[in-house]
Parts: sequence; C-alpha cells; structure tokens
Amino acid sequence: MDVRYINPFINATVNTLQVMMGLTAEPKTPYTKDDLATQGDISGIIGFAEKNISGSVILSFPEQTAIKLYNSMTGENVVRISRDVEDSIGELTNIVAGGAKTVLAAEGLPFNISIPSVVVGKNHMINSKVNAPIIVIPFQLDRLRFVMEVTIKIDGE
Amino acid sequence: MKILVVDDSATMRRIIENNLKTSGIEDVVQAGNGVEALANMAGVDLVLTDWNMPVMDGLSLVKEIRGNPTFANVPIIMITTEGAKEEVIEALKEGVNDYIVKPFTKQVLLEKVVKVTQG
Repeated sequence: MDVRYINPFINATVNTLQVMMGLTAEPKTPYTKDDLATQGDISGIIGFAEKNISGSVILSFPEQTAIKLYNSMTGENVVRISRDVEDSIGELTNIVAGGAKTVLAAEGLPFNISIPSVVVGKNHMINSKVNAPIIVIPFQLDRLRFVMEVTIKIDGE
Repeated sequence: MKILVVDDSATMRRIIENNLKTSGIEDVVQAGNGVEALANMAGVDLVLTDWNMPVMDGLSLVKEIRGNPTFANVPIIMITTEGAKEEVIEALKEGVNDYIVKPFTKQVLLEKVVKVTQG
C-alpha cells in the first residue's frame, strides 16, 4: 500500500482534532491486521468508491476517548456514550473522510464518500467487503488512545 | 440577527450554535435537512447549511431559497466537508455567498458571518 493514500487520512485526523477541539493526536506506527474485531467501544464508518477505487475508513474509540472528544466539541460534560456521542463520532468520521477525499482528489484520485454509520459495543466486528489489507493507525491523545482503520483497493495496484 | 443552522449532525448544529451564542448572536434556529430548513425560513437573516444531508441536501436547499422571491436575497454560507475546488465553484454558481470547509475554527465562522451580513 502506497503511503500517499494513507497519509491524507492520518493528516486529516490530526488536523480535525486540532482545529475543532484544540487537541493534539499523535499518530503511531501503522500495522496491518487480518481479524475483523475493532479495538474500541464505538466506531464511525465511512465507505468510499469510484470507478477505480473502493474502500472504507473506520475511526474506533474506547468509551473514555469518545466521551472526551464529545465534551471537547460541545462544551458539555457527559459521562457515558449516548445518541449525541454517537452522532459526534459519525460527524468526526465524516470530516476526516472529507478532508482525505479533498487531498486525494487534488492528486487525481477522486471518489465519493458515504453518509457515516456508527456502531457501538465492546469488540464489535466490522466486515469490509473490500478485498485489501486493513491498515491500522493507532493514535495517542494525551493518556487516551484510538485507532483508525483504512482499507483501500485501487485497480491496477 | 436570526440565523438558521442546517446540518444533519446534531453535534455540528450544537457546535455552530455555541459559537454564535458565545459571540452574542442569540437568535439561532436549527434544521436537520433542507426540507426542515424551508419550513423555518420565516424571518431568517442568514442560512448556514451543510451540503450532504438526507431528505434534501444543501445544494438543493440553496436552489429552493434562490428560487423563492420571499427568501431569494437571504445570504447563505455553506459549511461542508466538500472541499474540492470544483465543488466550491458549483456551490457559488448556485448562489452561495460564502463557503467554509470543515473542520473550521470559531474565528473563521464569525469572520464569514460578519462578511456576508455586513459586506
């Protein structure tokens, strides 16, 4: 997998958290995985597709990370995952995917993105129909963490 | 000044409303899509709308507003993840007064609001 397809997703994640919440997310070393289980309690999912590209991006958060992000975004002080927190994770995933989409379109790789879906539950499974490796990028957010999973299939590569 | 915030994300509507209210703009109404927005246009001085929404998207909403003699002159700012140059041009062609790409800061939002309402 060419890093130029992954870096826009990493950069969009860092930029979104910095601009909207003033938070510094530090990307760690990416790795690939084979199993479908996520590492979080709540995940935002966006699929993307075009003639020669298909894939998905998943942002997966432990409960405490999701709550911190929601409270940082809204100025509220919730203590558990609610419909509002679910909505915020969907919107966050949407903004990250949109940011990556803009960069990749400028590099000649345009695609459309889906409306975000959100899944809640310990160790939930997300089955991508795209036959390509799952690239996992861990992020550190102060003492909290989350992961991004990107799957991209580009015809001819 | 009455501002209508249109976004299918309740979180995004809340963020925008918080930014406006902490800047002294108290009269803010919300809508979750274009259809809800059209039902709440009475007395609105500025529309802030997302692009990608279910039921009626932001671009369709812009066309509806610009085609309605009662609301045709109400300024509109599109706030969206659609950041490609072609998309910005398309929105401007349909009559959007200004354009903000998510993520955005409170400062950018307020600068654009002032620009389109006082410019």
